[in-house]
Amino acid sequence: MFFHIVLERNMQLHPRHFGRNLRENLVAKLMKDVEGTCSGQHGFVVAITGIENIGKGLIRDGTGFVSFPVKYQCVVFRPFKGEILEAVVTMVNKMGFFAEAGPVQIFVSNHLIPDDMEFQSGDMPNYTTSDGSVKIQKDSEVRLKIIGTRVDATEIFCIGTIKDDFLGVINDPASV
Amino acid sequence: MGILDTMQTRVWVVLYWYSEQIRSTSNRRRLLLRSLPPFSGTDKGISRKEWPMSDKGGKGFTLPNGKGVKSTPLKDAPLKDSSAKSKKARNVQFSSQGSKSDKSAPASSKANSGKGGKGDSGIGGKKEQEPLQLKVENELPKGAKCLMDCEAADILQGIQEQMVILSKDPTIKLPVSFDRGLQYTKKSTHYTDPESVRRVLENLKTYGVTDGEICVIANVYPETADEVFALLPSLKARRIMLDDPVNDVLSELAKLKKSA
Repeated sequence: MFFHIVLERNMQLHPRHFGRNLRENLVAKLMKDVEGTCSGQHGFVVAITGIENIGKGLIRDGTGFVSFPVKYQCVVFRPFKGEILEAVVTMVNKMGFFAEAGPVQIFVSNHLIPDDMEFQSGDMPNYTTSDGSVKIQKDSEVRLKIIGTRVDATEIFCIGTIKDDFLGVINDPASV
Repeated sequence: MGILDTMQTRVWVVLYWYSEQIRSTSNRRRLLLRSLPPFSGTDKGISRKEWPMSDKGGKGFTLPNGKGVKSTPLKDAPLKDSSAKSKKARNVQFSSQGSKSDKSAPASSKANSGKGGKGDSGIGGKKEQEPLQLKVENELPKGAKCLMDCEAADILQGIQEQMVILSKDPTIKLPVSFDRGLQYTKKSTHYTDPESVRRVLENLKTYGVTDGEICVIANVYPETADEVFALLPSLKARRIMLDDPVNDVLSELAKLKKSA
């Protein structure tokens, strides 16, 4: 889910950026460095909403770079274990299906799909119940529960389940 | 002539030896400089690639163990640390219920974990981490404000509008995750007014419902109280106390729901 959080970072600035626009350059560099990254603790930094404080710069020994501690507010997206999310299915195969919720990819293994749903291969691979009433295919919206997360260099990847109560397809694209 | 030759060769030998000496000292200097630690102020607050392998002694220890579903208690510590240090060690933070390599896990363990998925304290007790109950506050720094999807949609929309103005500068670009986040929030807004939703759900706080749980309720938009308690097992324990307030909140939310 989304959070509004205050983070701190030490930004290094080359002396060529000093001058009247020092702060603007610092903020631009911060945005370039931080927006779109993700970390295990905070999740995805989706957007920076404001700068709280820029501390005094400290010249580094041996180089001319100056280090500024910057406190900034940002919106982060972090999935949690036990969280319920609504995601859009992006790919279906016989091992399970992939879904996307915001910047996060979620995989639901076929072991965590209810037993009455079977994989149907074909042009549009999907999971269907035995009576054909419920179908999970590409672009279906499903509600799932996250049971595990993994953090990579640039993205967060989760494992989810739809085997519990009140989880599963919300919106069947075929009926839309 | 013969003597000159020997003299010449001797000179060459001496010069060669001398140049070797110089080369070896400069090599030594280079080696010394390389062995110095990098300047501490390098601007790599978030990236993980530069962390040396030996820095976290547990890395070699946790990685192979992290893949195993049958966890020993020893693994609990690195698995717990990994939530804080996962940027250093690319640990797989899966709980014992959802195994990482789902392809290889036997079906029976999955069936059991499916049943135990609703916050089974037996399995949860093995690990120090949450038994699939939403424990947002523990993992984020204090002062993190939980945002409902509708609130986040407003904020991100505002930022996007600003970007339209700033887009004259070609170096400023919004990252892909921003677009995806914005699309996601727009898709899942059920309500007309985020502030009134927040006010309605604040009532639940007096009953001890956490911020994270309130946000999940708002995002998911459950239709019945049964749904709320099924999706949030942490509230089940206090169901008797929470049943009425939850029903009230749900009826209020229904009024605020956007007509599709």
